[in-house]
Amino acid sequence: MSRRIIILILLFTATLIASFTATIILNPATPSELKGLAKYYVLNTINETASPEAVTAIVWDYRGLDTIYETLVLYLAIVGGLAMFKMSEEALLKTRIGLTLLSKTSTKIVALLIASIAAAIVFHGHLSPGGGFPGGSAVAVASMIIIPVFAAGTLIEKGVSSTKLVAIRGAALTALGLVALLPVVKGLEIVTNQRFYPASILGLPISGSLSLYNLFESLAVASGFTAIALYLSIPEEAHKGGSGA
Amino acid sequence: MMKYIVVGLIVFIVYVSFAGSTSPYTLATATIISGVLSALTAKYLVVDERKLMEPWRLLVLIYYFFKYMTIIEFKAHMDVVKRTFTMDIKPGIVKVPVNAKSRYARSLIMGSITNTPGTVVVDEKDDYFYVNWIYVSSPDPLEAKKAISEEFENFAVKIFD
Repeated sequence: MSRRIIILILLFTATLIASFTATIILNPATPSELKGLAKYYVLNTINETASPEAVTAIVWDYRGLDTIYETLVLYLAIVGGLAMFKMSEEALLKTRIGLTLLSKTSTKIVALLIASIAAAIVFHGHLSPGGGFPGGSAVAVASMIIIPVFAAGTLIEKGVSSTKLVAIRGAALTALGLVALLPVVKGLEIVTNQRFYPASILGLPISGSLSLYNLFESLAVASGFTAIALYLSIPEEAHKGGSGA
Repeated sequence: MMKYIVVGLIVFIVYVSFAGSTSPYTLATATIISGVLSALTAKYLVVDERKLMEPWRLLVLIYYFFKYMTIIEFKAHMDVVKRTFTMDIKPGIVKVPVNAKSRYARSLIMGSITNTPGTVVVDEKDDYFYVNWIYVSSPDPLEAKKAISEEFENFAVKIFD
């Protein structure tokens, strides 16, 4: 018993000493000056994009076109993923048991909390770190715990089908594309932000198109990942038996 | 109606605290989001609306929270710390009866058992929990219940049943 305690104390001391030395020796010096490009963004983001959050401004405004093509690539990847699963939802309807009642109760509460936080991430994406993709992924986390706990069949019975999810995804991406294209009508470049969209509505800061992109991107990401998760929960027998469509 | 208000209020509080701001923009979006989420989820979250009208349940929950997080957790931790050093353990899985009816009460009991070090609920069947216990002082279900979950259950029944 005493040897156990001595070893524990030694380990504890060694860890403390190691972490202190590492901090002192490896101390990564913080740069005291910003580089030119960084300085440009820090000084001009708020005026040029009406957003105090430089990362979102870069992603959806300065290099907005790039991000929109990236979203399209992800869309195609998910379409490709879904096309690989040959199945009907009948196979999923057989899985209805899920986990215990207790897991279901806790999952309901946790999923609601995740959804609230995800909404905060999405709607503050143009004001503080966050945005459409992180928020949408957080929603996807909620659906990824709901699917195994409640079983995919139960969700399909409640009216959540992958067809609907893919439709939501398509609609969200169409809306995203429209937000990017609308300025062209007035003769501006594609993905124009401040010269076309208002910086605020009723005094509430929306940073022009940035909050719209965040909203639609989050819907697209959440529904896309949920659809994939739903397909991934097909029982193995359904594949083997060839009961797919 | 009450259930929509309560669920919406929870969403509102979580949203505002996570956003970390009380600007008009945050409050406006929080109102919209809490309305939408509570309209979508309240019917799955609240089974018996009348219990929401009894505020003393909330008071018991708050009292239980503080008692659990301080006294009960401290005792359980000290016990396991002692056993870690002395290796005085007798692990095993015991059957513990549950009398609480509502699923929230049961979840609270299960969470309380699992969150205290030394005991983990591994399964639930009919009216029994199966608890993996670090020191099985008695395999008898009633004796085990006295040692593991009786206090939790008394509170859970007061709060949720």
